[in-house]
Amino acid sequence: MSDMAQARPLADAVKPGAPRQPWTISAKLVDTAVQVAVILALAAAWEFGARYGAINPFLLPPLSVVLERLWSDLISGVVPVDLGLTLYRALTGFLIGAALGITIGILMARSALVRWFFDPLISIGFPMPKIAFLPIFILWFDIYDTSKIIMVAFSCFYPIVSATYAGTSGLDKWPIWSARSFGARERDLLWEVYLPMAMPQILTGLQVALPVGMITTIVTEMLMGGRGIGGTMITAGRFADSVGVFAGILEIIILGFVVVKGLEMIRRRLLVWHPESQR
Amino acid sequence: MMMAAKAHHIAQAASSISIHDVSHSYGGRGGGQVMLALDRINLDVGDCEFHCLLGPSGCGKSTLLYLIGGFIPVQAGVIATAKGPVSGPGPDRSIVFQNFALFPWKTVKDNVLYGLKKAGFDAGEREKRAQDYIDLVHLTGFENAYPSQLSGGMQQRAAIARTLAVDPGILLMDEPFGALDAQTRRVMQEELRAIWRRSRKTVVFVTHDVHEAVFLADRISIMSARPGRIEHVIDVDLPKDRGEEILEDPRFIQFSERIWRLVREQAVAATRGAH
Ligand SMILES: Nc1ncnc2c1ncn2[C@@H]1O[C@H](COP(=O)(O)OP(=O)(O)O)[C@@H](O)[C@H]1O
Ligand SMILES: [Mg+2]
Repeated sequence: MSDMAQARPLADAVKPGAPRQPWTISAKLVDTAVQVAVILALAAAWEFGARYGAINPFLLPPLSVVLERLWSDLISGVVPVDLGLTLYRALTGFLIGAALGITIGILMARSALVRWFFDPLISIGFPMPKIAFLPIFILWFDIYDTSKIIMVAFSCFYPIVSATYAGTSGLDKWPIWSARSFGARERDLLWEVYLPMAMPQILTGLQVALPVGMITTIVTEMLMGGRGIGGTMITAGRFADSVGVFAGILEIIILGFVVVKGLEMIRRRLLVWHPESQR
Repeated sequence: MMMAAKAHHIAQAASSISIHDVSHSYGGRGGGQVMLALDRINLDVGDCEFHCLLGPSGCGKSTLLYLIGGFIPVQAGVIATAKGPVSGPGPDRSIVFQNFALFPWKTVKDNVLYGLKKAGFDAGEREKRAQDYIDLVHLTGFENAYPSQLSGGMQQRAAIARTLAVDPGILLMDEPFGALDAQTRRVMQEELRAIWRRSRKTVVFVTHDVHEAVFLADRISIMSARPGRIEHVIDVDLPKDRGEEILEDPRFIQFSERIWRLVREQAVAATRGAH
C-alpha cells in the first residue's frame, strides 16, 4: 500500500533530503525582521529629520512628540472614544454590507429574476464614487451615526456582492452531485455546499471591502465632523494643530493594520481545508 | 433509530435496475455539433447482481452511470428501479465518482458522516459506522485530514468509505480503484467483493480493466466504442467465493482471455472507425 504513506503535510516524514521545517520558519523570520527593520528605519528618519531641522517641525513634527500626544490622549480618554466610535461605525457598516452583499450575491447566482434586477444596478454603481451619495444619506437619515454607517455599508456592498456572485455562479458540480446523491434537498445545498464552496471568493470580497469601509468611515467623519478619528483630525487641522493631525494618522495606521490582520486570521481559520493554507 | 431502520429497509428491498432503449447525446444546444454518446442501451441488472460495464475510454460508461444515478436527465428510453422510473438522484442509488467528488472543506471523517446524517442514522451509530468504514479502507489515523492533504489514492478510498457507509441498495461505482496502486487495488477488490457477498446489494461497476471485471462480476457487459452500445453480456462462470487463489485458477485465466479478445475487437473496431 505504497500510496498510504503519501499524506503530504500530515506524515511527519517529509521527503527525505528535503530541507526540514526549521529552515522555512527561519526564512519567515528573516522576512518579518526585514519588514520591521524597514519600518524602524522610516520611523528613525522621521524622528531625526524633524528633530534636527531637515524638515520644518510644524509641517512634520518629530515622531516622539506625536507619540507623546497619542499617549496623553490615550490617558485622557480622547483616543479610546475616537477609536471606539470609528471602529463601531466601520465594523457595523461593513457587517451590514456583508450580510446584504453575500445574500444578494448568492440569490443572483441562483435566480435569473434577481440577477436581471441587480445586475444593471451593480454595473452602474460599482465604478461610481460612493461618497457622492453622502448628501443624500444626510438628507434621508441624520447627521450622526446612521448616515455614516449606511454610507459605509453602501461602499462595502459592491465588492462583496460581486465577489459572492462570481464565487457562487461557476461552482464545481461534483460536490453538488455528491450531496444530491446522499439525499440533500435544494434548500440544504445553500448552507451545506454552495456557501462553503464559495467561501474563498467571498472572503476575498470581504478583504477588499474592509479597507474600503475604513476609508469611507474616516472620510465621512471628516466631512461631517463630530467625534471619531476623522472628525478629530479635521478639528486639529482647523486649529493648526499639526501634532494632533499626525496623531490621527498614526491611529488610522494602527487601526487599519489590526483590523486587516484580524480578517486575515479569520480567513486562515475558515479555510484550513483549502490548499492555500497548506503551503 | 427509526430512520436507521428505514434506511435498512430500503437496502433490503428489491434493487434491480432495468434500462430500456436508452440513448444519450451531448451538444447540439445553440447549433453546436450533436454527439451520440449512448445508442439504444438495453440492460437488466438483477437484484443483488454484481454487474461490470467494460469498455474503452470514451464509450459512455460514465454517462450511463450518471443516467442511472439520475444526475443527468434521460433523453430517450426509460431507466427504472424498484421505486419506479429514475427522475433524479436519490439515496437509494449511491455512487462513487471517477474523480472522487469529496467535499474539500470537510475532513475525511466529516465527509463520511455527511452521508450517514442524511441517511438518518442517529449520532452514536453515525460515529461507529464512520470509523468502521474508514478503518475498512485503511484510512485509520487520517480521520481529521482534509482531502487536499491526501494522495489521489487516499482520496479515492475516502470516497469509497463515504458511499459504502450508507449501505445503499444500489451501488454505482465509476472506476473506483483507478487511482490506487496495484497492491491496494487488489485488497480493495477483495474487500468490495466480500462486502457485496455479506450485504447483498446490486452493484454496477465501471472499469476498463478486464481482470478486475472478471474477478468482481457476476455478469459483464462489453461496450463498443463511440457511440456506446452494449455488444455482449456475458455470465461469469466462476465460483462465488473468490479469493486471491482464483487468479491462478486456469478457469479464471481462460475466461479472462476470452473477455480480453472481445474487448480488443471493440478497441480495434474503434481505431478502424476513426480512420
Ligand atoms: N458533458 C459533456 N459534454 C459533451 N460531451 C461529453 C460530456 N461528457 C462526456 N462527453 C463525451 O461523451 C463520450 C462518453 O463519455 P463518458 O461517458 O465520460 O465515457 P467513459 O466514461 O466511457 O470514458 C465521450 O466522447 C465524451 O467526450
Ligand atoms: Mg468515465
